[in-house]
Amino acid sequence: MSMPARDMTRREGSFEREPARRVFAGELRECHYQFKDGEDEKSPTFVLLPTGERCNRIFIVGTLTEKTRQGEQNIFYRGRVVDPTGTFFVMAGSYQPEAMQQLAKIETPAFVAVVGKPNLYRKDEASAPMVSVRVESITVVDKDTRDLWVLDAAERTLDRINALRTGDSPDITKAKEQHPTLDPAVFHRMAYDALAQITM
Amino acid sequence: MDFSEAAERISRKFTKDGAALADKTKIEGKLKRLVQEFGVQPSEAERSVTNELAREHNMPLPGSNPGTPKSGGGTEEKKIADGVPGEWVTFEGKVVALSAPASPSIAQSGILADESGAIRFVAWAKANAPAMSEGAWYRIESGVVDEYKGVANLKIHSGTTIKEISEDRTLIPTPQPIKDLRPGIGSVRAKVVQEWDASHERMLQSGLVGDETGTIKFVIWKEPGRESLEVGGVYNIFYAQVDEFNGRLSLNLNGATILQEEGDIPVSGGEASFTGAIVHIAPGSGIIKRCPVEGCNRALSRQNYCPVHEIQPNFVYDLRLKGWLDDGVKTHSILIQRDAVEALTGINLEAAKEIAENNPLGMDEVFLQMREKVLGRYVTCKGREIDNRLLVNTCETKKFDSADHTRLLNTAGGAA
Repeated sequence: MSMPARDMTRREGSFEREPARRVFAGELRECHYQFKDGEDEKSPTFVLLPTGERCNRIFIVGTLTEKTRQGEQNIFYRGRVVDPTGTFFVMAGSYQPEAMQQLAKIETPAFVAVVGKPNLYRKDEASAPMVSVRVESITVVDKDTRDLWVLDAAERTLDRINALRTGDSPDITKAKEQHPTLDPAVFHRMAYDALAQITM
Repeated sequence: MDFSEAAERISRKFTKDGAALADKTKIEGKLKRLVQEFGVQPSEAERSVTNELAREHNMPLPGSNPGTPKSGGGTEEKKIADGVPGEWVTFEGKVVALSAPASPSIAQSGILADESGAIRFVAWAKANAPAMSEGAWYRIESGVVDEYKGVANLKIHSGTTIKEISEDRTLIPTPQPIKDLRPGIGSVRAKVVQEWDASHERMLQSGLVGDETGTIKFVIWKEPGRESLEVGGVYNIFYAQVDEFNGRLSLNLNGATILQEEGDIPVSGGEASFTGAIVHIAPGSGIIKRCPVEGCNRALSRQNYCPVHEIQPNFVYDLRLKGWLDDGVKTHSILIQRDAVEALTGINLEAAKEIAENNPLGMDEVFLQMREKVLGRYVTCKGREIDNRLLVNTCETKKFDSADHTRLLNTAGGAA
């Protein structure tokens, strides 16, 4: 305990942006645990993936199949983004004016890349939690980018499954507690099926 | 009410080498006044008198570092590198530099070094300490290490004893790799790789020095006897002050011992390459205006205002993209330079100027068009990493690789 006191001051001010995790719709749908890291009002909120990784932000590429405008005074847009494993529910409201304008302009269907924050909500007390993605940005991309994303998401998913099988980080322990009956092979299979859908 | 017990407790805290620093009856009087005249709680009164005395004698406030000052009066003999803020220490070291006191309440300030490291020291005028001379060795007993601007600092107060050590000891400082520098005092062996225009009239020289492990900004302030460094020269820089500002480190060479040496050393360019998706394009991207004053080149505001040279109607256009590149595990700050922006977006400077001057949205239109073309795309960025930001020289769109696809299919298929 002699040295660290001086080391502590190093790079304290530098800012680390939360990375955007790659996750398939089929896995994100299973999330039902959300937590805050810290007591502060501005502490980041995380959704815990069943494969044992926390995410505050995700990056997804898929097909925007549907978008709807809702609300009278407070306009917001909802959209459905489909990947090989399921559907992401995305939304952008007046608190994300740029993202809302981007989403409003896009003609469906289109390949889109979305950066956003996952959120858990329930329709009412009794219903199962739903995951929606609050859009930070959405852009139209080509099929190549979509295919690259499927590889990327599959690789990250497989990495997480490996860590889940061998590791014991607090997030992994928590994920096992939250999803006691989960068999990681389900997500392994899902990643394989997603990869198999890409055609040359 | 009896205050003698509390007064006794306080006075014990301010005793050094058997001599009381504060008069017990005075302490008692102060306590009485606070409690009886001002209705202060006795415990609060004791705390406030203790703090008052601590300030008077330049000692650390007992309450501010719970635990540490209690360590048996704790004047343990230590190596300089092991001194932790909040501790009473005894160091043996060599005064390797003296600098002009920044305030009349400071008698002497400088740098004390041993073979483990170096620390800045300050001797208060009130301490009546004997003046130390540069190059001599001293044993400093019962000094206090505290923190000033995030850097450990040795305080010599009235309870500190200083003894000169007459035996001749050798001290050869070992240079550290630049990437391992921490705020405080550091020694490096480095080459001057860049010289920048002085941004202040009191500045003699500023620029960049580097070694195999990285680069760091340096500054020399005007002072009699200080000379500028030669660009391309290799120097041993001993006991320079390492400052931190906004999470970035810089070397202040005033007070450092600088020896030029022959030859050349390789300098890390900080070359780095990252692959990932562009997840954010920040404001200030697209086409920008730069200050035309030679050597300035700062980005101008919308009103053509340069923070240094004010209004500059004859600005120069440039292209850049600022943003975040994310590989799913870590996010890197990137700044893509003009050539790479042109190659990546397919919009060259001429085309961007055309849009900026003729489109009703002006420069915003360039920002929007470029953002649409790069946001959410997978790219590989190569360039130099400085202060946690990658200055990108080349940026290539990642292509779908069927070998990757096959490899992943095999991995995923194998164990399912």
